[in-house]
Amino acid sequence: MIEARGLSRSFEGRLAIEGLSFLVPEGKLCALLGPNGAGKTTTVRVLLGLLPPSAGQARVAGFSLPGSAADGARLRAQAGLLTEAPGCYDRMSGRENLELFGRLYGLSEAKLRSGLEHWLRRLELWEARDQPFGTYSKGMKQRLALIRAVLHEPRVLFLDEPTSGLDPAGAREVRDLIADFRGEGRTILLCTHNLAEAETLADLVGILRRRMLAFGPPASLGAARPALEVKLAGDAETVVAGLAALPAVQECSAHGGVLHLVVAELERDTPLVVREIVRHGGQILWVRPAGSSLEEIYLRAVREESA
Amino acid sequence: MNRVVLGLFLRKEVRDLRSNRQLWPAYLLLPVVAVLLPVLLLAFLPMLSDPAQSGNDRVVQILIESVSNDPTIAGATISERIARLLLRDFGMFYLLVGVILASGAAALALVREKEQRTLEPILATPLHDRDLLLAKLVAAVGPALAVAWASMLAGSLAGALMGRWVIGQWILPTAGNWVAWSLLLPALVSFAALIALRASARFTDVPGASQFTGLVVVPLALIVVAVLGRPAMASPAAGIIGAAGVALLSLWLFYGNVRRFRREEILTKWR
Repeated sequence: MIEARGLSRSFEGRLAIEGLSFLVPEGKLCALLGPNGAGKTTTVRVLLGLLPPSAGQARVAGFSLPGSAADGARLRAQAGLLTEAPGCYDRMSGRENLELFGRLYGLSEAKLRSGLEHWLRRLELWEARDQPFGTYSKGMKQRLALIRAVLHEPRVLFLDEPTSGLDPAGAREVRDLIADFRGEGRTILLCTHNLAEAETLADLVGILRRRMLAFGPPASLGAARPALEVKLAGDAETVVAGLAALPAVQECSAHGGVLHLVVAELERDTPLVVREIVRHGGQILWVRPAGSSLEEIYLRAVREESA
Repeated sequence: MNRVVLGLFLRKEVRDLRSNRQLWPAYLLLPVVAVLLPVLLLAFLPMLSDPAQSGNDRVVQILIESVSNDPTIAGATISERIARLLLRDFGMFYLLVGVILASGAAALALVREKEQRTLEPILATPLHDRDLLLAKLVAAVGPALAVAWASMLAGSLAGALMGRWVIGQWILPTAGNWVAWSLLLPALVSFAALIALRASARFTDVPGASQFTGLVVVPLALIVVAVLGRPAMASPAAGIIGAAGVALLSLWLFYGNVRRFRREEILTKWR
């Protein structure tokens, strides 16, 4: 389980994350979405006990943060981390890299041996185990880094951009593995830019831009704010003021000829909106419900935060 | 102290050293010099101690005067006395070998992990800061000491053989030499490595850490070697006292390094 309560972290007075509160229950996968610099990596580092929070608390795998150095070490023994860069030693073979990290995690010789063979075979790296890591392809490197993250059978996994820079086939392989990890009952926090990846894998989605802009199951994020988009011929700005005055319209904004409206109830309010646009002289090209895809929810949340 | 972790990092560094041919010259050149120099010094000994060949060279005169008046140097002839002085004081070179190699390795110890992006996965393991820094220290100091001691044994053997051949005497290391090599050398090497290790934790690029070590740490260590080395070579008691002082200083530096090790600076200021 991962629980954050009002978690903040600042660097030299600049807030990287602010007041994050969320709960990822045991065995669930939470995708943390956000643009570059949104604070995803900082969140992972704070939750893993690598950085102390400036404010707030967290509880990860049963350990409280901030906590003692000994608790921090015990927490890290229960957690696995996949960093954005694979972070293995180029001159050492894949097997030697895993042996080094397995021993740093305190695995016994027998567990290390059986774990190595199991994971290397499962991720199809067994044949390449004695080749130097530096000679691996990008996909192989990422798979080896994934093995390193799970070799000690952690209860909690932090995956920071696991498919970044991989070709579609490699990304698919890694996504399948993450789905397997979730099936094994691990609690997973997945930081990603890839909205489709989050939509496919996640039980919960958090949209982060320093603050948590939205958090919940992907379906409920869309359902919570019924919205529609209207494409107009010409400038959409001219009708914004008139629409905003309608009681049914909770929010109204225009971006490049497309009106984005949050309404109280989609089926009831759509005809009202259309009539009002026409009354203001707007020429409608199309109307469609918005907010159903994660991409739209994400873009809206980030856009609203920017505004 | 986690012995498993110490062993892991020591093995990793030695493996890295073996596979990285760019590092070989540093580890090979100094031992070669350490063996060749005493041979060359003794090869020119007949010229030095022969007034017909050295003439009125002021430096040679001073050398002859100093060995004649130094009660710690025994010898039936001036040549033997000069040979004993040269080989005894040349023992300081082995201190330098250890200091240079250890500080060079320690300067890269953390900054190279940052550059390879391997530091964050290491920090994400249950490893304590103290164990990580101790492991990095041992990994820098271990190979440097091994090379310095091997150089010392080979150089001493070469010096003894050369002494036998040139002046007909076996010139063996003094008690001061042995004390300095066994006690002062590990203390000095640790001292230099600890300063370089702190630089390695603070720098964000390998050239910066290497330059700082080359321009600040090594010269500083050389001054300490120069100040402590000669008295230590002449007197075992001075060697023991010097080694104890430097060891205490190293201990203080080590715990200072542990206290000042900032994961957040290492993780957030590195890009």
